[in-house]
Amino acid sequence: MIKYVAQVVIIGGGATGVGILRDLSMRGISAMLFEQGDLAQGTSSRFHGLLHSGARYAAKDPISAAECAAENAILKQVAPMCIRDIGGWFIQGADDDPEYVKTWLEGCRQAGITVKEIPLAQAWAQEPLLGDKVVKVFEVPDAAVDGFKLVWANAKAAVRYGGSYKTYHRVEQVCQENDRVTGVTGLNLITNEKFTARSQIVVNAAGAWAGQIAATAGVSLDVICDKGTLLAFNQRLFKKIINRLRSPGDGDIFVPHETITIFGTTAKLVESPQENQPTVDEVKNLLDLGAELVPDLAEYRVIRAFAGVRPLYGSGKEHNGEGEEGREVSRNFALVYHEAKEGIKGFVSIVGGKFTTYRLMAEKVSDWVVAKLGISTTSRTAKESLCPPVSQALYDKALALLPCGVATKMMERLGDEAGPVLEQIEQDPSKGRLLCECEMVSLAEIQKTVMDEDAHNLADVRRKTRLGMGTCQGAFCTYRALPLMQAEKVKYDLLQQELEGFLNQRWKGIRPVLWGDQLRETELTRGIYAGLLNLGGN
Amino acid sequence: MWDVIIVGAGLAGLVSGIRALKRGKRVLLITEGISSLVYASGALDFGDIAALQKQVKHPYSIFSEEVIHQAFDYLKELCPSYQGVWGQEQAMLTSVGTLTMAGLLPSRLQAWPLSGARRIILVAPAGLKDFFPEIIKVNLEKSYPLALIDIKTVRIERFEPWISAGKSIDVGNMTRFWQTDEGLKTLHKILSEIKSNRVLSAGSGTCGTAVDKTVVIFPSLTAELAGSVEKILAQTTLSVVEMTSFPPTAHGQALYETLKSHFRCSGGEIWLGSRAVRAECFKGVCRRIIVGSKGKECGLEAESFILASGGIFGGGIRVTPHTVRETVFGLPLFIPQNWTQAEFLVKQPYAQTGVEVDEELRPLDPLNGRVMLENLKVVGRTLAHWDPWTEHCGGGVSLTTGYLAAGLL
Repeated sequence: MIKYVAQVVIIGGGATGVGILRDLSMRGISAMLFEQGDLAQGTSSRFHGLLHSGARYAAKDPISAAECAAENAILKQVAPMCIRDIGGWFIQGADDDPEYVKTWLEGCRQAGITVKEIPLAQAWAQEPLLGDKVVKVFEVPDAAVDGFKLVWANAKAAVRYGGSYKTYHRVEQVCQENDRVTGVTGLNLITNEKFTARSQIVVNAAGAWAGQIAATAGVSLDVICDKGTLLAFNQRLFKKIINRLRSPGDGDIFVPHETITIFGTTAKLVESPQENQPTVDEVKNLLDLGAELVPDLAEYRVIRAFAGVRPLYGSGKEHNGEGEEGREVSRNFALVYHEAKEGIKGFVSIVGGKFTTYRLMAEKVSDWVVAKLGISTTSRTAKESLCPPVSQALYDKALALLPCGVATKMMERLGDEAGPVLEQIEQDPSKGRLLCECEMVSLAEIQKTVMDEDAHNLADVRRKTRLGMGTCQGAFCTYRALPLMQAEKVKYDLLQQELEGFLNQRWKGIRPVLWGDQLRETELTRGIYAGLLNLGGN
Repeated sequence: MWDVIIVGAGLAGLVSGIRALKRGKRVLLITEGISSLVYASGALDFGDIAALQKQVKHPYSIFSEEVIHQAFDYLKELCPSYQGVWGQEQAMLTSVGTLTMAGLLPSRLQAWPLSGARRIILVAPAGLKDFFPEIIKVNLEKSYPLALIDIKTVRIERFEPWISAGKSIDVGNMTRFWQTDEGLKTLHKILSEIKSNRVLSAGSGTCGTAVDKTVVIFPSLTAELAGSVEKILAQTTLSVVEMTSFPPTAHGQALYETLKSHFRCSGGEIWLGSRAVRAECFKGVCRRIIVGSKGKECGLEAESFILASGGIFGGGIRVTPHTVRETVFGLPLFIPQNWTQAEFLVKQPYAQTGVEVDEELRPLDPLNGRVMLENLKVVGRTLAHWDPWTEHCGGGVSLTTGYLAAGLL
């Protein structure tokens, strides 16, 4: 039994959890985070990666719109390395209601969202894929955000301030004595050892899993699981983020990221957060909806489908801020004080919310925590940069050692941690070769991540490096990662299991989009691993 | 102008072309891209023939075992360096050093000399792409526990600037290098070094027979297919075994080149970079196919046609979210009800998609069994009801159907 002690225990390694960890650590509070999988493995990476400008909510929900607008501006300031400020367009189509457009424009004005109309000729010139049903185009300050990167940046920033996080640590019980929480117990899923962590306060930030965590403390928390399915195309279909200018619904957002475009989403209530499998019907429905904007969308190559589970609080209804026992801080998210509600002191759950407002949610939770601890401090997360500045010398070194595109991408991923990787390449230039050709990741960078103490399997390596996320979906890079894992064999499963596990995991997302060139690629992958290498069933 | 036009330059297309030429036909072969042979190991697997012949509608069930045997012998005749005994499978090394089986393979790919080895030396050219000596060593240790396994890293002068520039040396670069004068000299030097080391260890009291128990493994030589390289290997008393490579493969490429040159030497004409766009058919007979090449389309007439355009991977069958189509003749296809299985590396239903044929390899309508086109033969991966990757019969089906199609003309 491993024992930990901290003032605050945080459950859940998504954006909210690591945001709280960082906020508290910056305020000098000792905080420890437990996550059952890898950081950002849940909803924080399974969304469209849109940093809302607030415009999406402008017509119906001015409070959410204003919150998003404020957070959008803050995050662009403090976390530019995780954000691509490419701007977003709202497209009014021929069938869209002009009355809605009026309400929307007024909503944007009230929420303080800058809207600029783009002349149609310019819009078509800039985004040639847009069909001819476009009536009006408005530009807003939407941006693309990398969920993996933002979550890891928060975790690492927290560590610099003395915070700590444990991945693959599943919390099994929130413990209490005399109506006061005393910490948590759980299981280290890598070593199979039990652990306990004593703390004065427990924050439940488990997102879609928050209901399960609350249940271990004997309280019920009304978390509704709402599955959203998304598609990844193998190219940037647009330069801008493209939204439909109508009441928010399915299949109305395209977000270009790195070398791909993510298109979504859908909404379907599911029983548990584990139900995150996209279905063929959802995929076809999305393609039909997308075709309203891009008529030949089905001709473009879809490399995979994936789904995330949104944690909605309480029947998915909107709340008006008048909660009786708990207190609503926003329509968009809720802090549930179990002290007020069920009489368990020191226990709070945070549910609902959007990725864009993760920082604000973390700030609100942290404010409550410090008040409970009797400490008076304020949050600095809106001002202080999330990542330490990267020296120009390091950038120059990367550009000298690697091709320009590879160097830039690596610096974006690693920032000031690129130093050791560049040293490796300097000593042995062959380590600068691309191991992952789709996402342009060097052998040295993958090697560093494979050796990283937070990496326990190939999927962990993938989330940090984008290995296997590109067009080949693992056909080539999985093979090329083998010798690196072999060198670290203590940590990894038998190579054959690791390979099959990773390929099966990639397969889940490819199965619903199995046509065109992606199907050909899949046959090549099967040919390599089942045929040439003779892995698998027989 | 032509008796036969063949679409596709994979194993089935090339073998059918060569045999048709040998039977006195005038043959044109058109191919859009490179042969899918370069993604294959270069060894031909036949699978469990008896079991597969019992599978409903499997290509093997269309003809007798005797025909497969004839095709097997035919390839041995075409490529004398290919070894195989009918009815027996032989082990060879995969690119990670595990063992896999094949019925017909270049003689130096045969792994059997390793079984008696006491010492195995894996030659590891520095910088070779997708070649991982440490992994291969671990796998060799599992298969050959009695042997001592050494990795001999060789730095090749020619490639040193590549390595210091961070540029990969792919299998093709390496294979071509061995065939140059400099490569042959390097090869000779490497073998001499190994030999003198071996003599040293033999000199330290080991008896003479132990000497013969050293086996050298080389990646990317394709010796039997390059006479000059084989000559060097033949000069040494060392036993040299080759291994297959990760795609694009050395032996697959070599087999493609060998068959292509056979085809040309037998008087066949090949149009590379030409796509069969569609066919003009009338009353169950194909009259012309329309070929797109260099931005232009032209119609080509022939007595017969052979469709060897491949399956889903090769591009002969095109799948969209709403349709599945055979790309040249628009032939009706067998399409399975369920498309996929939950596990990845298993027999996938979608892989069974293809054209059903009669015993003369003519396309059938799967709904009523009617022959669609009298003068068309469908061969290789375009056929329905088989899966090369899990049934391990890709070599056998493509070779036999190609062989048979030419015989039926």
